[in-house]
Amino acid sequence: MTADQYAAATGLIARSAAGYVSGVPEDAADDGFFGPASVTWRVSTDLAAPVAGLRSLLMQALHPLAMAGVDRHSGWRRDPVGRLAATSAYLAAITFGERAAASAVAARVRGIHGHVRGTDAVTGRRYAASDPALLLWVHTTLVQSSLAAGWAFGAPLSAQDSDRYVAEMRVAAELVGVPRPLVPASVADLERYVASVQPELRCTLAAAESMGYLLDPPGLEEDVAGFWRDVRDAAIAVLPDWAREMYGYGLPPPLTPRRRTAIRQSLGILDVMVLGEPGVLEARQRIAQRMRAGQPA
Amino acid sequence: MKVWRLFAVVTAGGAAAALTPVLLRRLGQLRYDRGLAALRLLVRGGARYAGSAPRLFVTAGEQRQLLREDLALQTAEDVADTLGAMKGVMMKIGQMASYVDDGLSPAVRRTLARLQDSVPPMSPQLAAAVVAEELGAPPERAFARWDPQPIAAASIGQVHRAVTLDGRAVAVKVQYPGIAETIAADLGNVALLRRMLRIAAPAQDIDALLTELRERVLEEVDYRREASNQSLLAGYYDGHPTIHIPRVISELSTRRMVTSELSGGSRFAALASWSQQERDLAAETIYRFVFRSLYEARAFNGDPHPGNYLFHGDGRVTFLDFGLVKHFTQAELQPLLQMARTVCVEHDPEAFRRGLENAGFLRPHAPLSTQAIVEHLAVFYDTIREPGPLTITGDYASSVVRRFFDVHSPVAEYISVPRSYVLLQRINLGLFAVLGELTATADWRAIAEEIWPFTRGPASTPMGEAEAAWRTRRQAIAA
Repeated sequence: MTADQYAAATGLIARSAAGYVSGVPEDAADDGFFGPASVTWRVSTDLAAPVAGLRSLLMQALHPLAMAGVDRHSGWRRDPVGRLAATSAYLAAITFGERAAASAVAARVRGIHGHVRGTDAVTGRRYAASDPALLLWVHTTLVQSSLAAGWAFGAPLSAQDSDRYVAEMRVAAELVGVPRPLVPASVADLERYVASVQPELRCTLAAAESMGYLLDPPGLEEDVAGFWRDVRDAAIAVLPDWAREMYGYGLPPPLTPRRRTAIRQSLGILDVMVLGEPGVLEARQRIAQRMRAGQPA
Repeated sequence: MKVWRLFAVVTAGGAAAALTPVLLRRLGQLRYDRGLAALRLLVRGGARYAGSAPRLFVTAGEQRQLLREDLALQTAEDVADTLGAMKGVMMKIGQMASYVDDGLSPAVRRTLARLQDSVPPMSPQLAAAVVAEELGAPPERAFARWDPQPIAAASIGQVHRAVTLDGRAVAVKVQYPGIAETIAADLGNVALLRRMLRIAAPAQDIDALLTELRERVLEEVDYRREASNQSLLAGYYDGHPTIHIPRVISELSTRRMVTSELSGGSRFAALASWSQQERDLAAETIYRFVFRSLYEARAFNGDPHPGNYLFHGDGRVTFLDFGLVKHFTQAELQPLLQMARTVCVEHDPEAFRRGLENAGFLRPHAPLSTQAIVEHLAVFYDTIREPGPLTITGDYASSVVRRFFDVHSPVAEYISVPRSYVLLQRINLGLFAVLGELTATADWRAIAEEIWPFTRGPASTPMGEAEAAWRTRRQAIAA
């Protein structure tokens, strides 16, 4: 398969934004699995969230079996934007949704995962999307990426809040079917876990193509690409060195304060574009209002 | 009306030069096309404008404090989180372009409005803290009365009602703390701004546009500049029969605060239900204000936005918000006057062309017929070429905007807008839109002749007579 078999990425912002909006309840009956006082809500509303998302996709794709599941079953090539928008909707529902809504979307995802199984042509290994080991990898990379991106480009968390965030997020792993005892509960646990998986990781052709598509959507104009490069480089810059080397990406410019600021400015521009989508402002205001109300006076 | 033409001229080059509009348009476009990854946002394409008559721009942000007092910004850090990362800069640019109704796609307009609406007001405590820092005393002591709830949102501040210690009712605009520094820092990312501009206006002198944009925005975040502009024009129009500018209370105005007399009056939207005669009178006042200010006070308020007008009937209008005023030298005005004179009065196309070239609007020796040039720019002068009553319609305003953004004309590539005149484009885009919204009728040419220094025509309307009397009184006082 070649990269040009991917559908065009039309509507990424609009559809992702719509997904996000759909996950944020109007009049929440309960605070869901995290709540307005959680670190998770803070992380999810951070300016660096797009970098976190991109980085986690880069990490997740390095697991050959996780990548195979996505590549062969999810309609990823046929409708990459739809797949990303669905993820956006899922994350918003899990994070901000009421417990019943979050449980329902999680159950639906578990149902879909039940049908995703096969043999990876590259490694010859059997895979199943319901395999807790794969789900754990996907979960952990998201958590780790949020910390890394937030630290570099967002509002950095204290060590204590970082641990709290990792611990809070365990419920998200549980919701998709990872037994709680397997899920890292602290930053240290999380780093140990990632290191333990590292030997299994590799940049397969599917990973290289998928990420090549995502980082540099075909047809992007040179000057547009120049603008986007900041966001893309931001994700690459906060990858572990070994992951960057697997992909063969060059070392990005050092993250000087000036460079961080420049990337934040690009993220701000993107954020305004997202803000222009229907319902996004209202959804954010609902979240902000609840976070404000949840603050100690 | 040369003013128009000026703009016109400016305009013609405008496809390239309308830096802020283009920027926004570009952004909007991206969003419009919503292409590829988020990146696609910036996809290049032709200018997009609605074919319909200009609508009243959404006065974005006017309601925001009403909307979200529960989300009020409580600290300077909240301000930085909300308006940092280029957002304050984009908002300022958006505000500058917000009157360019038809030049922006609906999606861009919506995005800009959303951006402004996304900024909550300051909490009463935060606003009071700014006042205390600026005046050395908390508002309850600096003023006889202080309303802690803002009555309106300004782009990077908010307006509070108060009564001074000597009993005057005033409006106090208070700036968000830290915003000036944030915007200044973000304007420092010249590379990003230049990249956006280059996408928007590849053929233009990006550095000139960028310099103008940065200077204007930096000026706007220093309220002392605004206070001094407003004082200048309030002094100039003192006693004018229909133009009113609230006086500034200098001792209560600082870098982050500007205090001026409180004005009542009706908002622009209310004019929809007024008689056409009232609308025509209001339009005449706005028109006189723009061109008297330009040609006599040599100052142009770059924000001819309906949200900045208050209407009192009989043509009386209060003008607000002088944050974006461009001052001109006599030498900078001369070419504009010359172009108006040559094309409208002397009907000398060759001289008109030389004027364009001398002022830097038209590249010398362009392989174009003079006739083609005049035809290209004529639309901007349509209202003042011939005497007689003429109605400015929404369609006319749209056609001006379309010409403004017409990059396909063979003439367009030889035209550009010298930096000094960049801001004047707002007349073409903003003033015409306002007058078109009012479907205003007047003998614009006759009014222009009253104002043009090279014609100094007689009063052509009752308002013109009242204005002439005011000018006589003014001169008598000056003498």
